[in-house]
Amino acid sequence: MSLQTQLEAYLTRTLGAPAVVTMLSRIPGGASRETYRFDVEVGGELKRLILRRDPVGSLIDTDRRLEFLAFRSFFGSGLPVPEAVALEEEGAELERPFFIMGRIDGGKAQSPFTLPPYGEHAETIGQQFYSHLGAIAAADPATLPIAEVATIPAPEGCWKKELDYWEGVINEDEQHPQPIVRACIRRLRANPPPPAQRLSVVHGDYRTGNFMHDGAGKVIALLDWEMAHIGDPLEDLGWAMEPLWCYGETDRVSGMLPRAQAIAIWEAASGLTVDLKAFAWWELFASVKGQAIWTSAAKEYRAGGFKDPVLALSGWYTARRQDVILADRLAALEALS
Amino acid sequence: MTPTVPELLTGNFLAMLDAPPAESTGDFMQARIGVTGMISLLCAQEAERGIEARAWENTAIRALLAASAPTYGEAFAEAAEGEDHDVSLAAMDRANAALRRSLIDLHIAVETARDAALDTAIRQLYVKMADARRLDLPPMPAS
Repeated sequence: MSLQTQLEAYLTRTLGAPAVVTMLSRIPGGASRETYRFDVEVGGELKRLILRRDPVGSLIDTDRRLEFLAFRSFFGSGLPVPEAVALEEEGAELERPFFIMGRIDGGKAQSPFTLPPYGEHAETIGQQFYSHLGAIAAADPATLPIAEVATIPAPEGCWKKELDYWEGVINEDEQHPQPIVRACIRRLRANPPPPAQRLSVVHGDYRTGNFMHDGAGKVIALLDWEMAHIGDPLEDLGWAMEPLWCYGETDRVSGMLPRAQAIAIWEAASGLTVDLKAFAWWELFASVKGQAIWTSAAKEYRAGGFKDPVLALSGWYTARRQDVILADRLAALEALS
Repeated sequence: MTPTVPELLTGNFLAMLDAPPAESTGDFMQARIGVTGMISLLCAQEAERGIEARAWENTAIRALLAASAPTYGEAFAEAAEGEDHDVSLAAMDRANAALRRSLIDLHIAVETARDAALDTAIRQLYVKMADARRLDLPPMPAS
């Protein structure tokens, strides 16, 4: 049975009227979920929707309920976040877990590997990008739908929870010894950051390429919340500024803004002040997390019979690039004393 | 390092072998073809530079392990023994895996001993190792 037929069966059952799906088309990019755009007509009304379905093999292992509730947490909050419409954790007619969300048309998500990703609109987009991230950090997670399922760590335990998780991923999926990331992990454990100033929703993958802009300088959709959790808001800031996401750029973070300007915008929107020593920990952590993800990609590429070229590129080229970043960060640290 | 060039090129073939479902043609398939092309291009870089990078890295790790053995234990001298007679990528990767495990053990011992000079030297070696294996994407303009 085709995906279109499965979708029509599901929507007809859940909406209680015959549903006709048209314009079903898979969207390129991303390897954590299969993403499709489609239109559905029910009772004379046309809805424009997105389907996010679990893949057979994935770049990262994530909880789709948590992602669904992360969208719900920020839809209608003033941030450009699509509406989460339906969640089926058992897969229903589509056989694999999925959720459906509203579609925001008229935008594009730029690859972080293009030069320059945002052209003349880089500064305008950067101001919104870091301001929106600050707004996410400012929200009280205890009042949001994501709190229904997300683990709430103690402020002093945020770093350890994340480091334990991602080191565990490397332990499980590593297929060739990686001395560089191992050394970075030891440094992180030996020099933990101070407790989080505040517990916040952490988007988890807030970066170049994971939002849409309209081509004229306006950010219109914040996407890819599959790694959302509650933790230290500096985690997201470190990930957003990870050098991997500003290929070929040396003086603008995320390919958008000078670093100091980006931090100032985030501080103004979040109401927090960046402790630079703590932030250095989270920046190094971001590179470690990246390498964990690429390590998993390489394993999944093999496990999936070498059929997904996105996993191949992630587990090979991106892993190599991440090692360069990790080694440079490690070399820049203070000598042992 | 994984995945290997034979795996990547086999994968490129397999990725194009099956006819895609109707919903995965168009933009998705165009992007998929672009990624497989990029992988092929990077495989050419790996074929050109990969053996030299591995030979250099294996030699550098052996030298470091051997030089560290008087201070950190003869096990590191034993780990440093051998040469890369088989210069295929697969054989050199097997030797490299064993050498990297010993390098990790040495670095842990160095950190435990608070040996700042050798720690700095190892971190500098990591920079060179990562750079030697670097792959270069062609410039891709934003759409």
